[in-house]
Amino acid sequence: MINYRVIALIKRELREKLLSKAFILMTVLLPVFMFGIFGVQAFIMSFDSEKSVVEIITESPTISEKLSNIIDESSFVQDSTIIPRIHFMGKIKFDDFFKKSEKDLLSENIAGIIYIPNTALEDKKIEYYSKTPKNRRLLNRIDNPINRVLVDEYFRAKNIPVAELEYASMSVDISSYKISEGEDIKEEGYGGLVLSYLLSFLLYISLLMMGSMVMQSVIQEKSNRIVEVLLSSVTSKELMIGKILGAAITGVFQMAIWLAPVIVVASTSWFMLPENLVFDITFLQVAYLLFNFFLGLLIFVGLFATVGSIFEDPQDAQSGMWPVMMLIMIPFFITMSMMENPTNPVANIASMFPFAAIIVMPAKMAMVDVPLWQVIVSTLVNILTVFAIFPVAGKIYRVGIMMTGKKPSWMEVIKWLKYKY
Amino acid sequence: MVALEVKNISKSFGNLKAVDNASFSVPKGSIFGLLGRNGAGKTTTIRMMMNIYMPDSGEVFYEGIKAGPDFNSKVGYLPEERGLYKKMKVLETLLFFAEIKGKKGKNVTRLAKEYLKKFDLADRMNSKIETLSKGNQQKVQFISTLLHDPEVLILDELFSGLDPINTNIMKNVILELKEKGKIILFSTHVMSFAEKMCDHIAIIDSGEIKLNGSLAEIKAQHSQRNISLNYKGDISFLKNNPMIETIADYGNSVGIRVKEEKNIQELLKLLIENNIEVKKFDANDISLEEIFINTVGSETAEEVKND
Repeated sequence: MINYRVIALIKRELREKLLSKAFILMTVLLPVFMFGIFGVQAFIMSFDSEKSVVEIITESPTISEKLSNIIDESSFVQDSTIIPRIHFMGKIKFDDFFKKSEKDLLSENIAGIIYIPNTALEDKKIEYYSKTPKNRRLLNRIDNPINRVLVDEYFRAKNIPVAELEYASMSVDISSYKISEGEDIKEEGYGGLVLSYLLSFLLYISLLMMGSMVMQSVIQEKSNRIVEVLLSSVTSKELMIGKILGAAITGVFQMAIWLAPVIVVASTSWFMLPENLVFDITFLQVAYLLFNFFLGLLIFVGLFATVGSIFEDPQDAQSGMWPVMMLIMIPFFITMSMMENPTNPVANIASMFPFAAIIVMPAKMAMVDVPLWQVIVSTLVNILTVFAIFPVAGKIYRVGIMMTGKKPSWMEVIKWLKYKY
Repeated sequence: MVALEVKNISKSFGNLKAVDNASFSVPKGSIFGLLGRNGAGKTTTIRMMMNIYMPDSGEVFYEGIKAGPDFNSKVGYLPEERGLYKKMKVLETLLFFAEIKGKKGKNVTRLAKEYLKKFDLADRMNSKIETLSKGNQQKVQFISTLLHDPEVLILDELFSGLDPINTNIMKNVILELKEKGKIILFSTHVMSFAEKMCDHIAIIDSGEIKLNGSLAEIKAQHSQRNISLNYKGDISFLKNNPMIETIADYGNSVGIRVKEEKNIQELLKLLIENNIEVKKFDANDISLEEIFINTVGSETAEEVKND
């Protein structure tokens, strides 16, 4: 199957791909881009809470005073993202004040007005007036101190010791522990989740990128008529194998570059990650990831090459590749849903289902402990998928690359399978 | 000695019979012309010889062995629709095409540079293909069909799109290759090239081989039935003679086509018996173009009659 012709083809593909500007740019820029997104997000977040003035009006002077004490200590006041102005006034005076402030609210000079009536001590109901009352960020920060003051006030009258009060107003702190076989129980942070997210994103991008690169190159060979020269020297099977292996090697190489920092971070102590971002990854797992990715490339690049062989015009091909896109995108969305609940049954099935297994299994492994048999089944399914699609894909490719003229319909493509070639 | 043999190959695309039971053979050391109009089935025949299309039936043999990948690596093939990787460099392109034929190393590089010099492209060795003119791209493609030192050259519409100077360079190279004992098969619809270069021809029309053999023999055959006559007297008695196919009066001379070769001597005898003063009786040298038109045209006429 691999002879000097295939090797020559692979060499050409590698030279063309590895040295292409697109490949170098993508390999360097994708990580930059990903960190860039986090950076931009942080940047935007820092913008959004730019000094919101909030008027907090209480009916009772004691609440007002206590609230001032607590809020002044809060971090959001110290870094001045929220500037609270706390007053006390009676209901009637508040109505006047509200009327006067309406203009400021509408022009957003004041982000909001919170009114805490005395009745709040019985039913904890307070009022919030704002142009954008659904701004959870602001309320989330401010409702905790208010709750504490109200609870404090309520119980103070009942002669309960301060320590008990403090306990009552404390919020729950959940520490998550991951239980694995044969290992000590470890406190788990978000590392697995982040890694899983990262892996599925890289897989998704890389499969799509390599796939469409090969598709373009097949279309180019077909429309430039190079394919006829090639076919006078190599068989269509050799040509297809050469193209797919060329792309698969390129892809795995790129993935290895991307994963290198992850491996370095996981296996050395050069970089200290915040404790809740620590993740575990072994070399064996990395090897599995690359092998799994390699199989994925064989499958999807093969499908993309087949689609490319059907069309002569890149635009027609864009519309023709949606079935293959779906095979990548649906598992990607399943993976995303798995982030919420790693034991999602759909994800469980998908992790061992043809096509989906490629994308779902690695993400699943990063989040939960997958039994070995499932990994083996998933890998076998992938290998079988390769063997199942290639006779069909190869035949379509064989007929397609020499078929010029009008754009064929799907029915015609199915007829090609019966051609003698 | 037959080197390359095409035996009863057929190919249909849907309802269209592109090639119908075509057979011909190419002797060793000869230049073979596959002649036909556009759409006659030349390219399909050649693609089947190269295993680019699988024939519906029939086979191709090279030196008695069924043609396969091994045969392909002994062939230099120039398709009608030329194509190169636009982003690749000239020398890189040549070496790649040689490598997929199984030839690489210093010798190939040296040979590639020699060819580039011969075709006046030495200074463009490291240019990208897309920066070359169309004529130069054709030259690069032609070199790529020669570089692996093939035993057989199959050239589809070799001269299409070439200027007279390049046409001449190609012609000389092809004749040189013939001297070296290579087998050269090319297809064309330009009869004057074929007439000058080919030893053997096959004429294909509507997918069928109409005529096939050595050009000299075919010419002899066709010209033997063609007579140009100058005379004095009345030859109207010939009009209903069964051995005459056509008579065309050109004023000074008459063109007579007899039905069979042996009729020529009978015709001469008949003329003398009828006291016609024969001034010139010449078995004409017929041009390939006439043969082609007669072959393809008469069949077309027959088709019309049958309809």
